[in-house]
Amino acid sequence: MNMKRLMGMAAGMLLCSTMLFAGGKQEAAAPAGGGSDLPYAGVELRFAVMADQFADYTKVLAQEFGQKTGAKVNVDILGYTELYQKITQDFTTDTKQYDLLTVDIMWSGEFAKNGWTEDLTPMINRDKAEIDYDDIMPVTWTLGSWNGKQVAFPMAGYANSLIYRKDLFSDPKEKSAFKAKYGYELAPPTTIKQLGDAAEFFTRPDENLYGLVANGARGSAVAQDWMEYMRSFGAAIFDANGNVVVDSPASLASLKFFVNIFDKWAPPGAIGYWWDDRETAYRTGQAVMQSSWSIARAGYENEEISLVAGKTGMTPSPRVEGTAAEYGFGGWGVGINADISDAQKEASWAFIKFITGKEAQKEWMLHDGAPIRRSTLTDPDLEKQMPWLGEILTVFENGNGDYRPRDPNSNEIQSILALRINQAITHELTPEQALSEAAKEIKALK
Amino acid sequence: METDTTGFIKTKKNRSLMWFLVPITVYLLFFFLYPVIYDIYISFFDYRLGSQAQFVGFGNYRAMLNDSQYMGSLITTMVFVVAAVVAELVLGMIIALLLNNEHPLMQGIRTIILIPTVFTPLVAGLVWKALYHPDLGMYTYYLRKIGLDIGRGLTVERSSALFSVILVDVWEWTPLMVIVILAGLKSLPKDPYEAAMLDGASRLQIFFRITLPLLRPTLVVALLIRTLDALKIFDIIWAITGGGPGTTTTVANLRIYEVGMQHLKIGYAAALSNVLLVFGVIAGVFFVQSLYKGKEA
Repeated sequence: MNMKRLMGMAAGMLLCSTMLFAGGKQEAAAPAGGGSDLPYAGVELRFAVMADQFADYTKVLAQEFGQKTGAKVNVDILGYTELYQKITQDFTTDTKQYDLLTVDIMWSGEFAKNGWTEDLTPMINRDKAEIDYDDIMPVTWTLGSWNGKQVAFPMAGYANSLIYRKDLFSDPKEKSAFKAKYGYELAPPTTIKQLGDAAEFFTRPDENLYGLVANGARGSAVAQDWMEYMRSFGAAIFDANGNVVVDSPASLASLKFFVNIFDKWAPPGAIGYWWDDRETAYRTGQAVMQSSWSIARAGYENEEISLVAGKTGMTPSPRVEGTAAEYGFGGWGVGINADISDAQKEASWAFIKFITGKEAQKEWMLHDGAPIRRSTLTDPDLEKQMPWLGEILTVFENGNGDYRPRDPNSNEIQSILALRINQAITHELTPEQALSEAAKEIKALK
Repeated sequence: METDTTGFIKTKKNRSLMWFLVPITVYLLFFFLYPVIYDIYISFFDYRLGSQAQFVGFGNYRAMLNDSQYMGSLITTMVFVVAAVVAELVLGMIIALLLNNEHPLMQGIRTIILIPTVFTPLVAGLVWKALYHPDLGMYTYYLRKIGLDIGRGLTVERSSALFSVILVDVWEWTPLMVIVILAGLKSLPKDPYEAAMLDGASRLQIFFRITLPLLRPTLVVALLIRTLDALKIFDIIWAITGGGPGTTTTVANLRIYEVGMQHLKIGYAAALSNVLLVFGVIAGVFFVQSLYKGKEA
């Protein structure tokens, strides 16, 4: 073989191999089980899961589903930013990398508008009895609903709550000292004023004790934490007509309160905290209170990761005096990639029904899961182990899923707030300037 | 007749050798030329991933001029590049001069000094994030212990955040500078030094009059490599500060990432990255020209 021919072959092989590796994931095989005991034998699903407390046990549930149906479910656990990026890129490039994915309540509008995830409404209506529709808490349907479409099925419901050190709040010495200073009884705050007073009272830098902690680092964490406080002040990003009102007086008051947290009541480094740092500050006993999601509640009783086991109380987040009881609801739904084949969709729907079913939900709750069903929240066995379920039920019954807006531009809105709120708490901008900039930028998205 | 045959063989051989260029040509076409051309092409469109692209001409570039976040990030990038590369060069030179002797210990030290470069920047960033943690970080603890006022923490104060991430880059890449300069020092001729010593030149005179001029090509190459690399900075800052506090550590790549990967505005992100590419090309041309000037001299 002469050199010319040899090189020609080599170049040809290189081109072929380039094309071979350029190919995407192969279409998974259609269900081969037919009428067998394993209806989805041979089906392989890939599930992108948010790296929250519940993520690890999702793998166990995936295995159980595999044993019952023959389907193999591969679970990829991804961080918040990475998850959004990976799945949106998968949708927009039609690469079908994921069949199933956890959907943040905020993403519902964007996913529905773009048709990225399957509208589950027909399947929900078809299997209403099987999924025991009425047992699912009404507010949890905001996880994935947008303009009459249900683009994700509720999977993990979170109650926005105030987490506090009940040992300190019930200490007689602290109680009398508080009453002497503020003129009323020390109790878990239900109003913003009480929250501020308690935060001030417990802030004792000399004892490395701080009254209230929140996320401050530039990014989604600070944006989400502030949005929770904003709603507690009765403010919102949009009014009922869809006008941008993020710079309203109530919103400004909430940002001023939020800035105070970092200036006066939080550990010095809170200005650089993400979710895990904030949780650490509470779990190590450095912070007395924090506004958090109920998914973290069970962890406070785990002595391996918490120094405050047995000392934690939980109550719905305080609100400004005079505003109606309305609490933050959030969490994760599970959606099906609209690009995949019908056979994959059917198997994915079966998986959703399995992991959100009564049996699996109870099992899941015992392993860091989060509830969506009334029967789970009122289960006597679970209540014995998790006495805080009643508090979650209260929040769910008065819950608002739009604490963080489900607008189709929610990700960009969050990104704008991620910078502007951080600039306010680091005093690069005044609260007025920060909200004015945010309002201008959010209006420009429309 | 003999000459003709030789010429023919040479031509035939050359033609055969041409085939060796096929793989690199294919590689360049697919993985370099096509992305660059597509990047320039798409920058003229208003293209959000998943929606129809619309031709906007220079609209993205005009929008960039009003994008205060991007313009600010370019300045931050320049500050980062100049500060990090100059610090790495000076430190690299000092350490290389110290290591430039044949003591048996030096071989081990040269190996140890390379350890930081083995870390991927993201891992280095995460490790330093923990060390810098404003409340629980080891460095924070000791800096406060010795009475240094670091405010609420090195990475969360606007006055010190950029310095903190530059320090990590310096920690990671100074060893590379050391190795490159050390290799240059080892290759220098001995004669000028012997002559200078016979003439009674001081160490400083020898360094500035002989070592530095002779090292010029090595230094230019080292500066070229590090400058282009520093222009691409992303991972370390992403891991440690996420661009904050405020916009203090938002370098150009962070803004491009936010626009392209988070907001999926691919056309606009392409325009922003093309501008950064121009800076890279300018830096590259500048250093390569310096290299030739050195040779001419």
